[in-house]
Amino acid sequence: MASGVWVLIEHKGGQLAAISKELLGKGKELADALGQPLGALVLGDSTGGLVEQAFAAGAAKAYVVEDAALANYTTDGYVAAAKAAIEAHQPEVLLTGSSLQMRDLTGALAAELGTGLAPDVTGIKVEGGSVQAMRPSHGANVINTLSFGEARPMIASVRRQVGQPIQGAGSGEVVKVAMPQVTIRTKVRKVEERTGAVNLADAMVIVSGGRGLGSPDNYTKLIPELARVMGGTHGASRAIVDAGWIAYERQVGQTGKTVAPKLYVACGISGAIQHLAGMRSSNTIVAINKDADAPIFKVATYGIVGDVNEILPALTAEVQTKTGK
Amino acid sequence: MHAVVCVKQVPEQNSVKITPDKKVDASGINPIINLFDEYAIEEALQWAEKSNGQVTVISLGSDDATDSLKKALAMGANEAVLISDAALADVGAQGAAKVVAAAIKKLGNVDIVFCGKQSTDDETGQFGPALARFLGWPQLTYVFKVHELTASSIVVDRALEDTLETVESSLPVVVTAVKDLNEPRYPSLLKIRKVSKQPIPTWGLSDVGLSVGDLGGTIKISDRVPPPPRPSGEMISGDVQTQVKALVQKLVESQVL
Ligand SMILES: Cc1cc2nc3c(=O)[nH]c(=O)nc-3n(C[C@H](O)[C@H](O)[C@H](O)COP(=O)(O)OP(=O)(O)OC[C@H]3O[C@@H](n4cnc5c(N)ncnc54)[C@H](O)[C@@H]3O)c2cc1C
Ligand SMILES: Nc1ncnc2c1ncn2[C@@H]1O[C@H](COP(=O)(O)O)[C@@H](O)[C@H]1O
Repeated sequence: MASGVWVLIEHKGGQLAAISKELLGKGKELADALGQPLGALVLGDSTGGLVEQAFAAGAAKAYVVEDAALANYTTDGYVAAAKAAIEAHQPEVLLTGSSLQMRDLTGALAAELGTGLAPDVTGIKVEGGSVQAMRPSHGANVINTLSFGEARPMIASVRRQVGQPIQGAGSGEVVKVAMPQVTIRTKVRKVEERTGAVNLADAMVIVSGGRGLGSPDNYTKLIPELARVMGGTHGASRAIVDAGWIAYERQVGQTGKTVAPKLYVACGISGAIQHLAGMRSSNTIVAINKDADAPIFKVATYGIVGDVNEILPALTAEVQTKTGK
Repeated sequence: MHAVVCVKQVPEQNSVKITPDKKVDASGINPIINLFDEYAIEEALQWAEKSNGQVTVISLGSDDATDSLKKALAMGANEAVLISDAALADVGAQGAAKVVAAAIKKLGNVDIVFCGKQSTDDETGQFGPALARFLGWPQLTYVFKVHELTASSIVVDRALEDTLETVESSLPVVVTAVKDLNEPRYPSLLKIRKVSKQPIPTWGLSDVGLSVGDLGGTIKISDRVPPPPRPSGEMISGDVQTQVKALVQKLVESQVL
């Protein structure tokens, strides 16, 4: 019978990714509720040090597939490695982050195993003995509760900030799994950092600008600077992405990124339903708009009616004074 | 080269309703081709034009999905197939992928399948990877540039959160498209009129050799609710200095800053 809640560990430069620590925290909750052990699934070409970090973050067991073929992520290589470990040790649940690479992996892995996948979930819990996942769809206009069929493991890719990391847990047992024979049909030729790449999904503070800024110059002058002093990054509405003021990767909304930072500041953004879809689950929302009837104020925690060209420089200066940045 | 494009028809706005029996009701909302699928269609057309190939579009959906298939034909696709069956009303992304995989096998001689990276209604991003597995083909997801495509191989750039990967694959392959992969064309009025009478074959589940028991039922959606309302907010008034001072004070006090 299947048993165990596993977290697929993401890592870079020998360090556990923040999402994996969060998921080990969430996995521990699920494991305790199911009365099952928490495992870490570690895949890579050099996994030294990662198992200790996984134990420190709560795992009781680490299932390790180490092979040169896992140096770069490939769907074929990672599906084969995960499948080998799963078939040998039969976990009940497998959690991964919801990064694009993990979405690529879980979609394929679930189909390969014939099991259920709850993609990009914002919550997961044990309710009356069974696992339930929550996920938004339709631009966050619908919150779905998902339950799983009979097949195991139940797989979920989980967003940031759903779990809380555990500090300083103990040690655990390492279980090695051999890399199976597999033909990897794709070849990674090059991996480069994206110039101007922004990971909006991971930002704690996002300051976004919209058409109300009036010009691309005003955006460049006002928005990144406020984001900087607030310790975050800058985003945008689709109107100004389409107008060419700023790159698409900054777009928040239904056809851009979905974000849920601690603080979202919307400057000169009307709050169209497609924009709200991407940011309405942010913790605190500040809206600055000259139109008191703008729909953005309906979701705002704090609202200021005023001209962004006057408010933003004053706000940047005040944040700097108060926080010393 | 024979390319297939998977096209999903979705509501233009997501202001959908939830019915008492917890289904999504998009009635009254204009249906459109999923945004990302337009890039998939355009990319398939461009490469087919270069190689004298052909493009088939497939959609699994209700009968009115022929509207989206007609638009794809008007953009330049050669053939279209609608998969429609009452048994597929609640099929999830993985089940849909299994059915479309069977349809692609039935077509035969397909070299490449283009999908969108995600649908703007269900947003699972699962269909493309599941389809590739059911076909037994490799997959290239989140593709934002196709550098070369020959009879046996493809080289693309994948756009991930903070890296760009250049990846090569053998064919046949499944590719999923992100926004701005290209500039999708508008169909001309002449073309729209020309295809309006082109017959679109409709296949049911048994036409692709499957039955309800094959669909999996791996995920059930047991509840759907609207998002919780946000707690009511607070407007901060006064002159500019008063406003920003009060705002920063509140953000610092609540440990947001
Ligand atoms: C299928 C589809 C998908 C979409 N996807 C997205 C998406 O992903 N993201 C997205 O953002 N949009 C999306 N949109 C577009 C969306 O509907 C809106 O058009 C867009 O969000 C508007 O951007 P905006 O708020 O910057 O501009 P506007 O709607 O023009 O609003 C500008 C605001 O600035 C205010 N303003 C003007 N001057 C000042 C000033 N001096 N000081 C302060 N305030 C001022 C105005 O009162 C107004 O509220 C999508 C639309 C469709 C149809
Ligand atoms: N019912 C469907 N018919 C045809 N293609 C689909 C269907 N559902 C999903 N797809 C394809 O899969 C992509 C991703 O959809 P999803 O997995 O729902 O996010 C879409 O952009 C389409 O290319």
